[in-house]
Amino acid sequence: MFYILHMTFGSYVRTTREDLRARDKRFSLRQVAERIGVEPAYLSKIERGDVAPPSEATIRRLAADLGQDSDILLAMAGKVSSDLQTIIRARPQLFAELLRQLREMPDDALLRVVREVRDGDW
Amino acid sequence: MIELRHDALDFCFPEVHADARCRIDFQRTLRIPDDKRDYPLPPGLGRFPLQHVDDFAERLPVEWLQHGGVFLPMYQAEALWINFHGDYPCAIKIAAGKINAVTGDPWTNTLSQDPQDYVVVPEQPWLDGFAVDKGLIRQFVAMPLGEGFSAEEQLTGAGVHGGIQIHIYPMKRQVYEDLYVRRSMLEAGPAFCAGDAAPSMGLAPGGLMHQEIYEDEYGIDAWDQNAGARCFVHLMNSVAYLQATKHLPPQEPPSAADYTKAGLPWFDYFDAERNALAGAAKLAGLDSVAATSIKKGQGRVSGNAPIPSPAVTAVGPHSRVREGDF
Repeated sequence: MFYILHMTFGSYVRTTREDLRARDKRFSLRQVAERIGVEPAYLSKIERGDVAPPSEATIRRLAADLGQDSDILLAMAGKVSSDLQTIIRARPQLFAELLRQLREMPDDALLRVVREVRDGDW
Repeated sequence: MIELRHDALDFCFPEVHADARCRIDFQRTLRIPDDKRDYPLPPGLGRFPLQHVDDFAERLPVEWLQHGGVFLPMYQAEALWINFHGDYPCAIKIAAGKINAVTGDPWTNTLSQDPQDYVVVPEQPWLDGFAVDKGLIRQFVAMPLGEGFSAEEQLTGAGVHGGIQIHIYPMKRQVYEDLYVRRSMLEAGPAFCAGDAAPSMGLAPGGLMHQEIYEDEYGIDAWDQNAGARCFVHLMNSVAYLQATKHLPPQEPPSAADYTKAGLPWFDYFDAERNALAGAAKLAGLDSVAATSIKKGQGRVSGNAPIPSPAVTAVGPHSRVREGDF
């Protein structure tokens, strides 16, 4: 998936959570904060952009709770997930060069490069 | 890894060998009459479109997402055949509703030698149906799951899985190099080095057709079972396909009678150098679509009138074209 990230991390989280709360009260600020293990006041500050985005682990829990892609939320928070960092650190020159070459490639060409047919559970 | 390209599944195994590739597509075809006579091979009328299940996740059954893989549209009582391409030898298990199409046994993730439960490419160019006897198959025909027609429902009593399941194992690198690379170097001589409707369908046994499923000449130890790749191919009712994808499914194929009346060819594939498997008693005991329909009190299946002596074009290992000419 390829997104242009127009919104800030906090406003995206708030919009997503409030959309969910309109259909399901379990997505109130208090209940979401409780499920992901932070204080409601802290989550409120994150949503308003008063504090920097939280840790990778908290962002992953937030993404899971809100049904969002954790890689996208991490990117919006200006972070690269630790598993990707490990991959890049293992072969930094190769991956740096690869990413630079892929930067200008159109989405359909990128999909041809990276897309596998997914096997599941059967 | 498996990629979807131009409505074909491209399997490649770079960890085994740079040449280890195999491509599979699903050909639209005529439904042969289901009238107890046996028929030659019908033509290929082009590939079925294939879609990633993940691309239409919100409009597909939850189980399909669990299975992963791809899906294609089929009309009720439409037939298909499976087209294999590739020069690198591979062992391929094919199942319909997780019933092995060669043996009739339930799905397993490993190869069996006795009885042989797979086909070997490139020796086997196509598979058109369930192996019911030596040199005889019953055509793959799509029927709605849950109505009792599919091989899966007849053998297990339930229509749970549907679709087509594929598992490919490439030949072990060392076996391939011993058999082919060194041989080709010797043959070439010294050389320079160079570089809404219910969407799920299952496959039911249709009419009888001549087709041999060839014995594995390499033996089961030739296949790299640590390097297999598998794919679940879901079969979707064509009406549901239009609703789910907003893409038009292909038109319904012509009837076998209309095709034959137009003087277009049928095919017979013969490879005198290979032995055919015997066929599976379990599959031979299944009721065909026509027989099931009568048993269920639904009357005779349409488009089932016998075809008088169709024009048959013989093809062999060196002339395999059975598609794209129409």
